[in-house]
Amino acid sequence: MCKCNGEGPKSDLTRLNTVLEQYGDTTSNLITILQKAQDIYGYLPKDVLYHIAEHLGTTPAEVMGVATFYSQFRLTPIGKYLIMSCQGTACYVNGSARISAAITEYLGIKNGETTADGLFTLENVACLGCCSLAPVIMINGEAYGNLTPEKVVKVLKDIQAKEGAI
Amino acid sequence: MEMIKIFIDGCEITGKSGDTILNIAMQNGIEIPNLCYNSELKVYGACGLCVVEVEGVPKLLRACSAIASDGMRIHTDTERVKRARKIALELIMSDHEGDCKGPCSLNCPAHTDVQGYLKQIALGNDREAVRIIKEKIPIPASIGRVCPHPCEDHCRREMVEEPLSIAYLKAFAADNDLASDDPYKAEKAEPTGKKVSIIGGGPAGLTAAYYLCLGGHDVTVYDAMPEMGGMLRYGIPEYRLPKSVLAKEILAIEKLGVTFKNNIKIGRDISFADIRNSSDAVLVTIGAWSGSTIGCPGEDLNGVLSGIDFLREVNMGGRPDLGKNVAVVGGGNTAMDACRTAIRCGAENVYVIYRRTREEAPAEDIEITEAIEEGVTFKFLTNPAEIIGEDGKVKGVKLQIMCLGEPDESGRRRPVPVEGKFEMLNVDTVIAAIGQKCASEGFEDISLTRRGTIEANADTCKTNLEGVFAAGDATNRGASIAIAAIAEANDAACAIDAYLLGLELNTWKPYYSEKKVTADSLADREKKPRAVMSVKAPEERCKSFEAVINGFTEEQARKEAERCLECGCHDYAECKLIRYANMQPIQPQRLFGEIHDSFIEQRLVSIERDQGKCILCNLCVRTCRESVGKGILGLVDRGFRTVIRPEFMGTDAVRFCKDCKKCAELCPTGALKILER
Amino acid sequence: MRIIIGEGSCGIAAGAGKVHNAISALMTAKDSFTLGSTGCIGMCFLEPIVDIYDGKTLVRRLVRVSEKDAENIVNAARNNDLSLLDSITIKPEDEEFLNRQTRIALRHCGLIDPVSLDDYIRADGYQGLKKALTTMTPEQVIEEIKISGLVGRGGAGFPTWFKWNACRQSPGSEKYLICNADEGDPGAFMDRAVIESDPHNLIEGMLIGAYAIGASEMIVYVRAEYPLAIANLEKAIAQAREANLLGENILGTDFSCDMRIKAGAGAFVCGEETALIESLEGKRGMPRLKPPFPAQKGYTDAPSNINNVETFANVAWIINNGGEAFAAMGTENSKGTKVFALTGKIKKGGLVEIPMGATLREVIYDIGGGIKDDKEFKAVQMGGPSGGCIPAELLDTVIDYKALSATGAIMGSGGMVVMDESTCMVGMAKFFLDFTARESCGKCVHCRIGTKRIYEILTRIVNGEGREGDIELLEELCVAIKDGALCGLGQTAPNPLLTTIRYFRNEYEAHIRDKKCPAKECTALLTYSIDTEKCVGCTVCARKCPVGAISGAVKRPHSVDTEKCIRCNQCLISCRFGAVNVR
Repeated sequence: MCKCNGEGPKSDLTRLNTVLEQYGDTTSNLITILQKAQDIYGYLPKDVLYHIAEHLGTTPAEVMGVATFYSQFRLTPIGKYLIMSCQGTACYVNGSARISAAITEYLGIKNGETTADGLFTLENVACLGCCSLAPVIMINGEAYGNLTPEKVVKVLKDIQAKEGAI
Repeated sequence: MEMIKIFIDGCEITGKSGDTILNIAMQNGIEIPNLCYNSELKVYGACGLCVVEVEGVPKLLRACSAIASDGMRIHTDTERVKRARKIALELIMSDHEGDCKGPCSLNCPAHTDVQGYLKQIALGNDREAVRIIKEKIPIPASIGRVCPHPCEDHCRREMVEEPLSIAYLKAFAADNDLASDDPYKAEKAEPTGKKVSIIGGGPAGLTAAYYLCLGGHDVTVYDAMPEMGGMLRYGIPEYRLPKSVLAKEILAIEKLGVTFKNNIKIGRDISFADIRNSSDAVLVTIGAWSGSTIGCPGEDLNGVLSGIDFLREVNMGGRPDLGKNVAVVGGGNTAMDACRTAIRCGAENVYVIYRRTREEAPAEDIEITEAIEEGVTFKFLTNPAEIIGEDGKVKGVKLQIMCLGEPDESGRRRPVPVEGKFEMLNVDTVIAAIGQKCASEGFEDISLTRRGTIEANADTCKTNLEGVFAAGDATNRGASIAIAAIAEANDAACAIDAYLLGLELNTWKPYYSEKKVTADSLADREKKPRAVMSVKAPEERCKSFEAVINGFTEEQARKEAERCLECGCHDYAECKLIRYANMQPIQPQRLFGEIHDSFIEQRLVSIERDQGKCILCNLCVRTCRESVGKGILGLVDRGFRTVIRPEFMGTDAVRFCKDCKKCAELCPTGALKILER
Repeated sequence: MRIIIGEGSCGIAAGAGKVHNAISALMTAKDSFTLGSTGCIGMCFLEPIVDIYDGKTLVRRLVRVSEKDAENIVNAARNNDLSLLDSITIKPEDEEFLNRQTRIALRHCGLIDPVSLDDYIRADGYQGLKKALTTMTPEQVIEEIKISGLVGRGGAGFPTWFKWNACRQSPGSEKYLICNADEGDPGAFMDRAVIESDPHNLIEGMLIGAYAIGASEMIVYVRAEYPLAIANLEKAIAQAREANLLGENILGTDFSCDMRIKAGAGAFVCGEETALIESLEGKRGMPRLKPPFPAQKGYTDAPSNINNVETFANVAWIINNGGEAFAAMGTENSKGTKVFALTGKIKKGGLVEIPMGATLREVIYDIGGGIKDDKEFKAVQMGGPSGGCIPAELLDTVIDYKALSATGAIMGSGGMVVMDESTCMVGMAKFFLDFTARESCGKCVHCRIGTKRIYEILTRIVNGEGREGDIELLEELCVAIKDGALCGLGQTAPNPLLTTIRYFRNEYEAHIRDKKCPAKECTALLTYSIDTEKCVGCTVCARKCPVGAISGAVKRPHSVDTEKCIRCNQCLISCRFGAVNVR
C-alpha cells in the first residue's frame, strides 16, 4: 500500500491496522489515531502518516497539519529517556530557566533535540501540574522536584551510570 | 427575502437580512479592506483588516463575519479602525519578505517602473515600454542619453556579472517610438478650467507641464531662453544629447496642449506678481544657472569662465576663443562636459584640475575615460591657488599640490594641501565647473534657504507664497541630476493637481517590501555579459559635436533587456497587500524581527510558491480543499512558525494536484505564481 | 483502622506511590488495618500525605511522609499506638490551610477513594442527579442554576444558566454537552485535582447539565498530560454505566445520555471553546469565528454547550442544596466559591477553595502562610497568560469578578502565582508572552505575529538592548492585539504585559534607560564584583568560576573580570563570606 518511494525505513503497519480498524471510520478520530500510532512507534514516521491519510480518505496535507499542530506529536524518534522540563509559571518563578540551561549544558541538547547516543531527548512541556515541587522535570513519567542545577545534573549522571554511558 | 437598511460611513445602503457587513458593503460597491475573504469560501477571519466600528458595540467587529442588522450604523474609517488596520498591516509586512519593486526602480528618484519597461523592450513592444516610462518621465529619449542612472548602480545583475544597460535601453525604446508612425500619446483628462503657470522650461518644468496638462489643466511654460529644455538644451553638450532628439520630445509636449512662451524673464519681461495674478497655481522651476566661483586670487581676470556659461554659449552656436591651453576646474559631470567641449572647440591642451583622485570624482567614470581618450589631461590632487594674469588676461594657474586626508561627512577622503608644494600651469583660459547656484532675482517675496535656493516643502513642494510651488535644481538642496528634478516635478504636479481640485494629498513615502539578496542566491544564474554600446573613435569625436554613441542594434537591445532578473514582484500591480498597506503611512520597520525563511517551492504543478511572500491568509489551502475538493495544501506547525506547504509524503504532486491554478488566482500577494510554459 | 494515602499527581510526584508500596510490603495477612488511597487534599506543600482513619473519623494526618516512615506507620497501626507518628503529624498551624477553606467543588477531594462509586454514593453522590431527573423539569434545573448565580469557572465568567438555556432553546434533536478539561494555564491544576480525586462529581454535574439542555452525549476533553485523571475518569465512567447512571434510561427515567473522553494532544488554544470543538472533530485546534456560537452550531454543527470542570463540580451540590444556598456565599456579583491553585514563592502552596469576597491577602497570608523565606511580597499573578499581575498595594482586593477585572488582571481559571522581590516583572511578562506566542494557533495576524513581536521586544529589553519608546510601542501593540485578535487567547494575551507596565513601569524604565534589572534576575544586566573588605582570599569562587573570570592570590582579595564573566552566579553561591556583590 505504502507509496513512500523509500523515504525512511518502512514501518511495520500491522499494529497500526488494528488501531485503524477500531477508530478509522471517521476523520474526527484522527487525533486519537495519531496518539495510538505514536504509542506504537514512539513517534510518527512519514509512511505511517501516509497510511493513516490513505485509510481515512483524507490528504497527506490534512494529516500533516494535525500532526504538527499539537505539541504531543513527534515526527522524529526520541531517546530512551524523555526529559520533560516543566515550563509552568510556578517553575518559572522558582528558576526553571536555570534547570533547562543546566540540562542543555550538560547533555549538549536543546529543546526538541536528542543526544547523539540516543539516550536522552529534551522537551520543554507545558505545566506538569506539580507546582508545589517547582522547579520540576519528569523523566519517563517520574517526577523530580525542588531541583537545582547541581541536582538535575546528578539525576542525569545517575541515569547515564545505570546505562553504562559514563 | 427580507431586506435591511444599514449605514456605512453615513451612507445608507440595503442588503439581505442575515448577510454579513462585508458582503453587503461589497454588493454596494463599498470597499472594506480584506485579505483572507472570498465569497465562495467559508469565512476565515484571520487578517483583521476588515474590522469596523459599529455604534453601540464596544468591540471592533470583523466585517467578514459580523451579521448586519437593520439600522446598524457602521464606520470603516474611524481613528480606532484605522489604527487597528495600520498595525495589522505593519505586522503582516514585518513578516513579508519579497521585493515589491526591483532595486532599480526603488533607487530611481522618479521610481520609474524599470522592470516593467525592460520586459516590454525584451518582448519588442517599444511603444508599451514608452507608455510605462512616460508614467514618470515625459522625455525618455533625452533622459536615456544623459542620465547617470542610479538604477544601473543598484542593478542586481551586478552580482551575476554586470548591471543592465538600462538608460540606453530607455533611449532605444523612446527613439523607436518617436520614429514610428504612431508614437505613444497619453490620454488627457477633461479640462478642469484651472490655469497653471510654470516658470522655467527645463526637465522639471517640462515634466510638471506634461502631467498637469494630462490632468486637464491649462498650462503655460515661461522660459528666459529662446528654446525650451533648460540645462538639457543649454548645459548638456550636443555630442551627448543631440538637440534634435530633445526638440522632438519637447514638440510632443507642446502638441499635447502646453503653451510655451520663450524669451521671457521674470522681473524683466513680466512681473512675478502678474503671473501669480493670472494663474490658479504657479510652479517655479528656474534651475541653477549661476556658476560658483573658485575663490582664489585672479578670478576676475579675463579668460576665467564659468562652466555652465561656457557650455551655454557653445550650445547656442557660439565658438569662444579659448586659446591653446585650457584648464577646467572641477571633477563633476559639468567639468567633463566643459573639458570635452573645449577639445571640440579646438583647444590643444585641456587640463582638468581636481583636488582629489579619480576614485572620488563625482563624474561618471565613462565620462573620464572618454575625456582621456579625447586627449584631456587630468591633474588629480591639484587645486588652483592663484590664477596668474598678464595685462588683465589669464596667463597661467598656480596649482597647490594636494593629498588625501581623513574621510569627511560624505565619506570621501578630504583633500589636504601639501605645504609648500606648487606647480605652475600655463593656460589661456580657466573654466570653473565647481558648482551651480540658483539665481532667484525677480521672485522677491519667495523664501530662500540659507544656501540661497528657494525653500519648498519636501512633501508638498509648496513655497511660502499661496499657490506657488517650486521644484528642481532651484530648490532646497540645490542642483542635482535631471532625473531628480523630474522626480520632484512629478511630486509637484501631484501637489498642484490636488491643490487645484481641492483633493487630499498623500505626502507619505509609500512602503515597499525589500528582500536581502546576496551573490550566493544568484549563483545559479547563467552569465550573460552586458551589451557594449558602440561609440565613435576618439579622433573622430574630437572634431565634431556629433553624438558619441551609435545606439544599440535591435538585436542587442532585445537581448540586453532579456538579461533583467525581474527582481520586482510579478504581482505588484494586483497585490492587495501593498495596495492596502499604502492607503496610509505605515512603519513596519519598527516591528521588524524574526521572519519566515524565504524560499521558492516548486513542488506544485505549474505553480511556484514563494514562502517569503506568504501571509497565511489560507485562501489557497481553503480553495483547494473547499472548492476544488483536493486539499493538497495544508498548514504545518503552529504559532509564528506556521507555514503553508503542499504535502505529498513522497508521492508525486500530479497524483493530487489537478493543475487548476485556483490557488494562485486567489492569492492576494505574489506568493503563488503561475509558471508560463 | 484505615491507612489512606493521598495519591493525586502531586502526591505521587512527591513519592506517595513509593510510600504506598513500602507500607503494602510490610503488611501481612494478619493485619487488621487496611490500606487505601484517596485523591488530592490540596495541601501540596505537605505531600506525601497519609491519613489514618478509625471508622469514619480521621485520627491522624501524617505529612511529608517518606518510605522510611513506612515501618513506623505499620507498627503504629498494628499496635494502635499513634504516638509513634508524632514527628510526622501535621502541625496545628498547617491545619489552618484547610480549616479556613469552604469546599464545594473540592468537597470530596482527598476524602474518598476516587474510583469507588460506593465511596461517592456514601458521600451523598448522585442525589442531585436523582433529584433533578425525578423531581425537576429541565427548565427548573436551569432556573435553579440561575438562582445560584453560578458563572463559568474557566475564566470568562459567563452565566452558566444562560449558556444552558441558549443551547436548550437552540433547534436540533442532537445536542452535545462538552466538558473543557484542557487545563492549560501554566500554574493551574484545579481541574486535574477534581477529575483525579472526584470523577463521579464531574459525571453527575455533567449529567444534570445534559438533562437541562437536552443532550444525548457528553464529551470530556482532557489534557493528554493528565494520565491519572483520564484513568480515574475512565474507571468512573465504566462504574456509572454499570450502575445505570450513564446510558439508556438513566435511573429508570426517560433520560438517556452517554459519555466519552477525548484526550487532547497538547495545545493551550484548545481551551478556547471553538478551538476545542475543532480539535474534537480531529482537526487543528484553530478557533472559529463567532457567530455562530457553539450553542447554535458546535460540535459536528450540532448545538453544543461547553463548561469547564469546576463549573460542573458545583452543579450537583447546587441541585442538592438549592441555588439559594450557593448564592448565599460570595459578593453582589460573584456567587459561591472559587478554587485556586496557589503556587510560586509561597510558604504553603496547594489548592484553595474559598467563598467569593475573601481578599487576596487572606488567601496569600492567612491560608498560604505568606512568602517563602519571609521575603517581600511583590505581586500575585492571576489568570495565567490571560491574566495579570496584582501588586502589593492591591492585596486587599476582594475575590470578585468585577473587582479583579478592575485591577487589569482577571479571575481566571484559578492559577494564583505569588512572586517576591526577586522576580523581575519584565521577565514575567516575557515569560507569558513567550508562552502565548508559542501556543498561538497561528491563524490570525495579531496573535501570530503580534505576540511574537512583543516577545522579541521584551527579549531585547531584558538583554539590555531596550530602546526609548519601547514601552509606548508595546502599549500600542497591546491595544491593537486586544482589539484585533480573533479569539480569547489573543485578545487577552497582552494582559500580563499591560498589568506589569501599569504597576511596574519603573522596572521597565530601569531596564531600558539604566540597563539595570531591579530584581537582579536579568543576567545580561548584572555586574558581579567582590567586596575586598569581606573577601578572605579562600579561592573557592575562583575555582568554581567556569570561565576563569575570577583571579587573585591566596589570602588576598579576589576580583572579577566583568568582560569574561558569564553571570552564572556560581561565585555568589559558593562564597561563604558574603563577599560577592551583584548589581
